Amino acid sequence: MRTKLTLSTPAAALGRILDQLDRELIEASDEDVLEAARDLGMNPMMKGSAAFLGLQCLSLAEFFDSDVLKSLLLERAAQKAAAVQLIRAASKQPNSLAKSTETRAWTAPCRSKKR
Amino acid sequence: MRTATACMPQIPQLADQRILTPAQVALALNIISRMDFLRLKAIARLHARGLPPDIGWDDLLQEAFTRAMVGTRRKPQGVAMVAFLAGIMRSLRAEHWRRAHGGPASQESLRIDHQRDLSRAAELRDPGSDLERALLAREQIEAIEQLFAGDPVALGIIAGLAEGRSAAQIRTTMQITKTDYDSARKRMRRALLREGLTCGLN
Repeated sequence: MRTKLTLSTPAAALGRILDQLDRELIEASDEDVLEAARDLGMNPMMKGSAAFLGLQCLSLAEFFDSDVLKSLLLERAAQKAAAVQLIRAASKQPNSLAKSTETRAWTAPCRSKKR
Repeated sequence: MRTATACMPQIPQLADQRILTPAQVALALNIISRMDFLRLKAIARLHARGLPPDIGWDDLLQEAFTRAMVGTRRKPQGVAMVAFLAGIMRSLRAEHWRRAHGGPASQESLRIDHQRDLSRAAELRDPGSDLERALLAREQIEAIEQLFAGDPVALGIIAGLAEGRSAAQIRTTMQITKTDYDSARKRMRRALLREGLTCGLN
């Protein structure tokens, strides 16, 4: 009895080949990449190496790696932190009202006098 | 959502969802090295082989990055960024085929029981395939074989992969040792990388 049905179209075969070869490239080590580049007389460690030609998304990634984005993210993080502190401070306010009447008498501003 | 992004580095206080997703992707992109970009270039070149000629490898790579950044695709925990982007490119290829041919991309095999015995496998013609797709695919298989011309072991492995055989089955069929198989794989990997690195030169 046959146990497995396999599509034998060229498209299915191509799909199988590509999926397997793709794994080989995912697993390729840095040394593999460097060796392949060396075979072609390229030096990927050099800035502006021909190996990177055609990689338009590299500039995009360099933007993400840039100080501009990092400072922007840090700025937003700081703004957020400040907002959180304000909220915490505001939530602590009612607790100060729970102080003893004596303390309140000493610390509360005098509302009767105009300053 | 939390589990999908948990593996990525976090910036404290960036709780705003509108900031969090692109920031996480940006941080993940920092993880990608220049070597990874070269790997991705070769992977994009490979997957573009399964696409219509008007779609280039750079389009495919660009689209994969865009999907990762806008959050259309989220990186699962424990998956390396290169593997994640390669996965997006793989599904983009399947998507293109589906759109172009109005059916499932490729149902490679249909298991009818739990045994794995390829010697007892039945050949099933794909009724949805058309002539154009078949010609394009055949042309691309020949181009891949051309990359390994003069390397009979590599060509044998390609033939085995086309038939959906596992590594062990290929070794048994070709009567080669694991060492021979692994060295052939290394040669194939380098040939594919060389091919990928020369993309965009002309």
